Amino acid sequence: MMNGKISADSGAGLSRRTLIVGAAAIFGGGWMITGLTGCAPAGALAAAPGSTQLSFWHLLTGGDGIKMSALVDGANADSSSFFAKQTILTWGTPYYTKLAMASAGGRAPDVAIMHASRLPGYAPGGLLDEWDLERLAQHGVTEANFPAAIWNSGFSGGKLYAIALDAHPFILMYNTDIAREAGVLGANGQLELMTTPAQFIEVARKMQAVTGRRGLSYGYLGDGAQMWRLFYTFYRQLGATMTLEPGKPARVNEDAGTTALEFMQELLDGTIATAAGDYATALAEFVNGESGLFLTGVWELPTMQTAGLSFDAMPIPNLFGAPATYADSHTFVLPRQANLDPVAREDVYAFVADILKSSLAWAEAGHIPAYLPVVDSVAYQELVPQAHYANAVDHLNYDPQAWFSGSGSDFQTFFAESLQSVLLDKTDARAGFQAFVRRLNVLLSKPNPVG
Amino acid sequence: MTTTLTNHAPNHAPKKVAVTPTARRGGPASRKRGENLTGWMFIGPFMIFFILFLVVPIVWGLYLSFTGQTLTGRGGGLVGFANYQEALVDPDMWRSMGNTLWFVLISTVPLVLIALAMAVLVNLGLPGQWLWRLSYFMPYLLASSVVSLFWVWMFNPQLGLINAITGLFGAEPIAWLQDPKYAMLGIVIATVWWTVGFNFLLYLAALQNIPEQQYEAAALDGAGTWRQLVSITIPNLAPTTVLILILQILASLKVFDQIYQMTAGGPGGTTRSAVQYIFEVGFTGYRFGYSSAISYIFFALVVIISIAQFAVASRKGLKK
Repeated sequence: MMNGKISADSGAGLSRRTLIVGAAAIFGGGWMITGLTGCAPAGALAAAPGSTQLSFWHLLTGGDGIKMSALVDGANADSSSFFAKQTILTWGTPYYTKLAMASAGGRAPDVAIMHASRLPGYAPGGLLDEWDLERLAQHGVTEANFPAAIWNSGFSGGKLYAIALDAHPFILMYNTDIAREAGVLGANGQLELMTTPAQFIEVARKMQAVTGRRGLSYGYLGDGAQMWRLFYTFYRQLGATMTLEPGKPARVNEDAGTTALEFMQELLDGTIATAAGDYATALAEFVNGESGLFLTGVWELPTMQTAGLSFDAMPIPNLFGAPATYADSHTFVLPRQANLDPVAREDVYAFVADILKSSLAWAEAGHIPAYLPVVDSVAYQELVPQAHYANAVDHLNYDPQAWFSGSGSDFQTFFAESLQSVLLDKTDARAGFQAFVRRLNVLLSKPNPVG
Repeated sequence: MTTTLTNHAPNHAPKKVAVTPTARRGGPASRKRGENLTGWMFIGPFMIFFILFLVVPIVWGLYLSFTGQTLTGRGGGLVGFANYQEALVDPDMWRSMGNTLWFVLISTVPLVLIALAMAVLVNLGLPGQWLWRLSYFMPYLLASSVVSLFWVWMFNPQLGLINAITGLFGAEPIAWLQDPKYAMLGIVIATVWWTVGFNFLLYLAALQNIPEQQYEAAALDGAGTWRQLVSITIPNLAPTTVLILILQILASLKVFDQIYQMTAGGPGGTTRSAVQYIFEVGFTGYRFGYSSAISYIFFALVVIISIAQFAVASRKGLKK
């Protein structure tokens, strides 16, 4: 199936650009065939005879999926000992249920992408294998290569289960043309400093006056992840924490929760931001220049670049006192296998190290690479607007740890269930937050299925 | 299914078996055996799949419902009725059951009435009947994911076609799938558009089987179109209506696809169906045992509804 005529060695002669373009083209049509027939995308690259085949699962289907495909092809070209084959599944529940089932059944892929925030639902249940620090070091990957917050997000119960590829915080994008006209740009050409909620609203109103439509775009309807990302950013900026321990009621700060939600209500007034906007609508609004500010994840960066928008980006300004931003990381994990092939496992280390070292290409997808040598490189520092929000790494906040929390989890669904009406119909914020906490307490009172 | 097959096979088999010399030589006893063998061979392929994918999971699921089994393989021990006890006081379970029943109610009524109206209209002898038939039935051929994508766009509060049309009449835009007041209605509208064609086809076939003489006789006696509809058409369609009701209620009870794809059970759990809750508890909540218990409670509910339906339908049958 895989023994094409072009060996991995001849593939290495191709330029990086050719690889990316080629991979993008193959990927576009190829991934569907992959899903149907189980064959790797055929064409530019194929496994060298005798190389180990690595199965690699991930959930990256957008612009970052194309970048990932190029990275995988690059790693395959760099090595003659392995050939990694991607299996791409739908983001969120569909991916994580399949990964858990595969691990539980012992027929898991050799390596997979997992959100750092999902570790507590997988690692304690024995669905993942630990990373060997010594073997990582042999491939040039050590703790010193990562910002502490990101490195630590890969631990569960004192053991390292995940190696982060990136951090992808929630950020603030802005349309530079509109900002200039609104007079809110500083001397350096970037958005002026905002340190209070009132200032943020003032800037948004000035932008609104220019567009005549909205000042800010933020899509949340029917999307618990989006609601949670912004809420948790403000909640943490208020200095509040959330601790979820099975068997005990959730420890939260109700006042901070209420304040954060009331500020979100204030923004969603129909003028500053659409009162009822979903993800796609908000995206379209900002791309079409109908708003000046956009609260979104770093992963939408390629969308803006493709649209040819003049825009810049920054971490979400610290409006409540403590700098903080919601983030998650894509990490590499080793799903538990019933029959572990030591050769394949060894190759996984080489594969992951190769991708980490080439993750400058990953930064092009908007994500902040976790691997410090890449972030510290001149090439990355010159990458704009990526470099303008790279300092968000200093104040990353991952989800509160629990077996049911994390990206694409039930936790986010429950958040939406309890709080959408607060944002949409402007019902009482405190009552909404209390309903969410009650919901968490029910979950915490139930037996932990992975603990 | 199995009973029909076992009943039919022996009816047809004897003729064939009788002419084979071996069977004649063997006498009645071995002929009987031969018949049985032929019968089993006919149902064999079906039985294998039936047992593997229905009987075994049903029994296994019942066993699981008394354990604390999780997806990670832990907690496999017996826990008695704990799962059932927990489920009976689980507000989310009752809510999802309520949502399913509500969906059954508000989807079945239009799915029967609209199908009937469409069939009667098409049967009037409009020009280009094939076009009507095709356009009413075509949505039924689409995959649920396609239907969901269509309607998510149509219902989009800002860019959707539905709000654009209602906006022409000065109506405020409605967040169809995001507003708890309208979300289930939105799902029902999409479902009706999608599946009404099947009921329509059943009705149309039944309409075309009503003898023309009955209408002629009625017309001679001075009955108008309306009188004919009420006194001839609808009574003649009664067996079809019963069939459609049975099929429709069962189909609506297991609603999952379009809800999962259009609202994922939101907003605020107002469209989460029983099947979706079973899925969530088992596959994203990892609790197979508890999930099995809920599915057995749901199963009991379906059985009760079916018995009630059967009682009503057979009483109707007695009257005829």
